[in-house]
Amino acid sequence: MHMPIDPATIAIRARNVTLSLGTRDAPVEILKGVDLTLLRGESIAILGASGSGKSSLMAVLCGLERASGGDVHIGGVDFGALDEDALARARRGRIGIVLQSFHLLPTMTALENVAVPLELAGVSDAFARAADELRAVGLGHRIDHYPSQLSGGEQQRVAIARAVAPRPTILFADEPTGNLDATTGVTIMDLLFDRQRAAGATLVIITHDPALADRCGRIIEMRDGQIVSDRAA
Amino acid sequence: MSALDWASSWRIARRDLLGRFRGLRLLFLCLFLGVATLAAIGSLTSAITQELSQRGQGLLGGDVEIAMTQREAGEGDKAAFRRVGRLSETIRLRAMARGERPDSAAVLTELKGVDSAYPLYGTLALQSGVYRAPLGPDRILIGPALADRLDVKPGDRLVYGTATFTIADIITDEPDRLGEGFTLGPVAIVSLEGLRRTGLIQPGSLYDSKYRLRLAPGADAQAVREDLEKRYASAGWEYKDRDRAAPGASRFIVRMGQFLSLIGLAALVIAGIGVSNGVASYLALKRPGIATFKVLGATSTDIARIYLLQIGCIALLGIACGLIVGALLPPAIVALAGDVLPVSPGFRLHALPLVTSAAYGLLIAFLFTLPPLARARTQPAALLFRGVVDARHGIDRRSLIAMTAAGALLVALALGTARDPLFSAAVLGATAAVMLLLLGIGWGVRQLALRAPRPRRPLLRLALANLHRPGAQTAALIVALGLALTLFVTLAGIQTSLDSEIRNVVPKTAPAQFVLDIPSGEADRFQTIVRAQAPDAQFNIVPALRGTIVAYGNQRVTDLKELPDGAWFLRGERGITYSSTLPEGSELVEGQWWAPDYAGVPLVSFDAEAAKTLGIDVGDTLTVSLLGREITARIASLRKINWETMGFNYIMVFSPGTVSAAPHSLAATITMDPRQDNQVTRALLAAFPGVSVIAVGEVIEQVGAIMTQMSSAIVAAASVAILAGIAVLVGAIAASRQARSYDSVILKTLGATRWQILGGQALEYGLLAMMLALVALALGSGAAWFVIVQIFDFTWSPDWLVVLATLGGGALLTLGIGLAGSIPLLSVRPATALRQL
Repeated sequence: MHMPIDPATIAIRARNVTLSLGTRDAPVEILKGVDLTLLRGESIAILGASGSGKSSLMAVLCGLERASGGDVHIGGVDFGALDEDALARARRGRIGIVLQSFHLLPTMTALENVAVPLELAGVSDAFARAADELRAVGLGHRIDHYPSQLSGGEQQRVAIARAVAPRPTILFADEPTGNLDATTGVTIMDLLFDRQRAAGATLVIITHDPALADRCGRIIEMRDGQIVSDRAA
Repeated sequence: MSALDWASSWRIARRDLLGRFRGLRLLFLCLFLGVATLAAIGSLTSAITQELSQRGQGLLGGDVEIAMTQREAGEGDKAAFRRVGRLSETIRLRAMARGERPDSAAVLTELKGVDSAYPLYGTLALQSGVYRAPLGPDRILIGPALADRLDVKPGDRLVYGTATFTIADIITDEPDRLGEGFTLGPVAIVSLEGLRRTGLIQPGSLYDSKYRLRLAPGADAQAVREDLEKRYASAGWEYKDRDRAAPGASRFIVRMGQFLSLIGLAALVIAGIGVSNGVASYLALKRPGIATFKVLGATSTDIARIYLLQIGCIALLGIACGLIVGALLPPAIVALAGDVLPVSPGFRLHALPLVTSAAYGLLIAFLFTLPPLARARTQPAALLFRGVVDARHGIDRRSLIAMTAAGALLVALALGTARDPLFSAAVLGATAAVMLLLLGIGWGVRQLALRAPRPRRPLLRLALANLHRPGAQTAALIVALGLALTLFVTLAGIQTSLDSEIRNVVPKTAPAQFVLDIPSGEADRFQTIVRAQAPDAQFNIVPALRGTIVAYGNQRVTDLKELPDGAWFLRGERGITYSSTLPEGSELVEGQWWAPDYAGVPLVSFDAEAAKTLGIDVGDTLTVSLLGREITARIASLRKINWETMGFNYIMVFSPGTVSAAPHSLAATITMDPRQDNQVTRALLAAFPGVSVIAVGEVIEQVGAIMTQMSSAIVAAASVAILAGIAVLVGAIAASRQARSYDSVILKTLGATRWQILGGQALEYGLLAMMLALVALALGSGAAWFVIVQIFDFTWSPDWLVVLATLGGGALLTLGIGLAGSIPLLSVRPATALRQL
């Protein structure tokens, strides 16, 4: 028997979420009625093979994509009612995202990359805080380097620093070790969990790697756009 | 939360811009070309008109000028003039110069008699130095063209009328040449006494007397002129002051400048397409960065500000460089043009054309940056998760409103700075219509390529697919290159048709000679003399007087603030004649012709077009000033004049008795074999020393030369349009480099040779060039036909060889540049590229 959940502890609630892409003549059903509740401070792995819909689910849950049906509440805000600009504003300070291909801005240094979300949020000491975050991920000596001058692991650390710098309540990581070797990948995951704990944030990791999923407190498995299991790790 | 402020946006924009300009180079180049052209045209026009204005005293030969035809001012009038300022009198007429020998050639010249005060301003420069008055009564100064034509030099002798002169020197600069207006022959200067020796000044002769005044320093020339006009309102004199010394030249320069500016603006609009493509390429490169910004919380407004600042920087740089080059070009053009320009202005910065050109550049940059920016700023952040080849989102309403406002401002600027807003509106409207049509054709070509049967050969299939693949620049290229090529075909069609009209049609219909100043009453003798040399000659002999229209209906011309549009005949003196029968070349459209023996109240037959312009009709009155006397006549009929006959086409023909008593001469046209020109001229001069003979062939040559010069200027301005089109083509090639490299690598992997790959590219650009040629031929020929047949009412007879050569050149250029852009694709190594794909 499930105990009723205190709404104050809910980080994300998704109900009957569907996502349809492609053209009107040839639609592709990516998500087929997903129900999900994530709590504050949890670490969750969304596990599934390629094409299972896990990345698309993450896109919907972090406000990068609008669901075709159902509703999504993040931090108490109904994301389904928001347009692109409102979604962008809603992400500021609330959601941090780490992507598989890092997606650093190539024309900016590590320090400038980390400072961008702080500047967008109107933080006055953006560069000082950015420098602190980079030191926290062990890149205090690389703050003036451009992405092309950093290794893959270093780029991903910058991406992590950028994601956590605004102190988000929810942290998403989509295949964060997908473009890294095994050793670097372990280091990066250690860093991610460390920064999650320091921020007290909810961590959602998208992965196809069961070993990585086992590091989280909860594992949600997806197949063909639906959740097939939701269990404690 | 509010958007990033401008300072933060600038900080981010600057960081993002450093070192990455690809795509914005095209923006820079297109704006530079367009703005430089407009700035150069505007600066040159301003320089020349300002020079004409500043040199007004020298050009006019005084501060105020009073002119009259077929008479001289009385002593009382001259005394009155002298009370106003220092007076100089000149008399000018067309006259035949010939050598002393009976068989020597005769040349039509502008003979000018001057007094000892001439020139009041400026210097009459001679080969040996500066002219010092007075000129002896048997001495003559001649222009270099006359010296060449008659092969004479200082010390030789020339005959005018009944007088012989010794050439004293060769004129190198006549200070008031431009103020004299259009001249048919080279100048020769004698003293007033010498002029009277020639016997050419007779009652009824066609000559102009000019009285120039040098006022006290600081005197208001305009006020003096207006005072004289009021005092001698009924004298029928013409007045000028130093501020409008050469109104004809000024008008021509301003009109030409305006027309060239419109062509320059069309070129800038083509450049705008390049701007749009360049910005789209740049923003395509920035797509991952834009999506990342959005992931991090940037709104579309933040994105718009950041990239507008970046694009704005490069745009301002391009505009600034264009202004600098445009400001520096006029001295170079003046040096190259030499005597073609009426004056040679020095170097000065002219603020208004530079500011206007900058404004055009900014508006075009803004207008053509908005569509790709609007698409980029609204692209969703989810693009990071989905590959998108061509994210063609619609343009949001705010951007559409901004684009409409920018477009409206652009049109307002063009019309607001135009001397003739209606003409400018017509040209802009036609350009916009052609662009829309080309856009439609571009869309049509894509659809055609999409729906065409799939060719069996893979390279042809690929070439066809490249015309309609997502991201293909087909429509943009057809608009940009199509507009430029259409402009060239239009100009080629118009130029060659006009050329043909002047060189082929006109000589067939025009008489061989016009003869002026035939003594009244000598018509029969005149015909006899001519027929003795040319038995088959045909004649049209008419009385010739000159007068000024001073009133029409109840309106006095001097009371008009501005002449009505198209009322060229109210400006200055016009030819007047009288006839008992309807003149040849005229067709009565309203009213009645008077009886051959009519002897009633003064009647006049008026040109129907002129009547329409003035808003008058049969029954209204027309008042002309003829030799100082005002004559009011009732309009008895309106005529449609057939100007193509090239005969005497008078807009005013009076009833006999109205003006026949005034002193006048006869004018005649002679239609004969032009090879008989010289012998007829010699015979006429021997019998009538005072006649002037105008060989139409020479006039045609002169007009042809002027038109060639004008064409060169127009083609030069239009060349910028081609350059802008090429810039768009180069930009399109660069934008599609990645996709073409991909194709090239895959094809090589599958076994295609480099020649086959190049052949595929040649097929694609060849198809594009062929379509451009067809479009430009259809539109350009149509536009040229409309101008020649509907506007000029000439025969449509373009030189198709020239037109097709123009088209061929443009098509080959397109193909050549396309292939040149394809050569780097041949060196892409499959193994290296495949690792990166």
